[in-house]
Amino acid sequence: MPNKEGGHEAETIISASVKVEGDFVSQGNVLIEGEVEGSMKTEKDLHVGEHARIAADVAAASATVAGEIRGNVDVSQRLQLEPTAKVYGDIKTRDLVIASGAVVNGRIVMDAEESAARPAKAVKTAVKTAVKKAEKAEKTEEKIEDAPQDATEEAPEKEKEGTKKTINAFFTR
Amino acid sequence: MYFYIYDSFLSEKKHERTLAAVETRLTDLGISGKIGRLSPFTSAKGLIRDEARRGTQTVVVVGNDETVAKAVEGIGEVKVTFGMIPVGTPTTIAKALGIPEGVEACDVLSKRVTQKIDLGKVNGKFFLSSVRIPGDRVVIEGEGQYRISTLASNCEIIVSNLRSGDLMEEGEGSLRNSGDPMDGLLDTLIMNRNGGFLGLTKQNGGSSVIPLRKMNIKSEEPIEVVADGSKFTNDTFNIEVVPDCLRVITGRERIFAQI
Repeated sequence: MPNKEGGHEAETIISASVKVEGDFVSQGNVLIEGEVEGSMKTEKDLHVGEHARIAADVAAASATVAGEIRGNVDVSQRLQLEPTAKVYGDIKTRDLVIASGAVVNGRIVMDAEESAARPAKAVKTAVKTAVKKAEKAEKTEEKIEDAPQDATEEAPEKEKEGTKKTINAFFTR
Repeated sequence: MYFYIYDSFLSEKKHERTLAAVETRLTDLGISGKIGRLSPFTSAKGLIRDEARRGTQTVVVVGNDETVAKAVEGIGEVKVTFGMIPVGTPTTIAKALGIPEGVEACDVLSKRVTQKIDLGKVNGKFFLSSVRIPGDRVVIEGEGQYRISTLASNCEIIVSNLRSGDLMEEGEGSLRNSGDPMDGLLDTLIMNRNGGFLGLTKQNGGSSVIPLRKMNIKSEEPIEVVADGSKFTNDTFNIEVVPDCLRVITGRERIFAQI
């Protein structure tokens, strides 16, 4: 049976007339149209059909959900929620598509955003502080450079002004 | 060195001409060999074990699916190559292996394309193709980790290593290929069937496929199951895969590794 998302053949198919209870683990693509209770893990794609009911924590590489999941959903790549999807639990994924009509009751953690945002912010702040430091350093260097020049140039002028003042005072007397 | 096992039903007159033609062709191709005939007092297992001790490297079954079931029981335990010449009915296993019926099978044998495939084991007995179990009031325990139960009545559970020809014909989607008997897994097919006209059953869509290495199937009361065409009755079935167990001669169009 084709997986609508990737066009791959589903290696495991749980049809509407079948119920699975316990820790279900698969290494291939999984299509669920029936009931699953417990936990459900696959290393590849998961497709949850419109009439499927899952009361389990779900983990997959990527997933398309059109049915109901009561449990936490952990998808390492892309999670697509169809208009009929209902998720009652926390979602953790890197890439999320939610169609209009889909229901999500739980926290959504976007791994990629978090991990991508953190270094970006860190880089930005680091750059800003580096720029500020550089500017400060430039200013202080300018001051340091300016300071002795002013001192050397201003000192004789002050001395000159001082002598002028004393001369003027002498003549006024 | 070839050893041919003839099933007891081949002594019927209607198979005389086919057998004569097969034997002539085998001689022409230079692959004729010793013949062992099954009877109520001669088991395939015993014949194969004795011939393997004498150095036979290839055992060829001449007969139908039931003959294969009788031979596989013995072949699973010894290191010989398995071939078949389908004569009689049903010959769905031969179809799955890409072997044509009658004389044409001799040419496939002589080309000798061999592949190492898995075998299944049900209650300690080897099977090549599948085990068919009536699915009503049956619970499957998969890998000791989860339980699979059927919500509908009129279900049939087929634990398949190599999907037989008839299963491929009636199946849909991924059921339409012969499965992969080299993946170290048995496909558990749960076929939902409806009673059809004149008692004929037809598939009601929505079949389940669950690949498993090991399973335990329990029924509330003893039920009759069919393993490779051979019937037996029990209420508990311990089924597991035995990977890379059998070297088998197949038609050129059945290269399982490409599935």
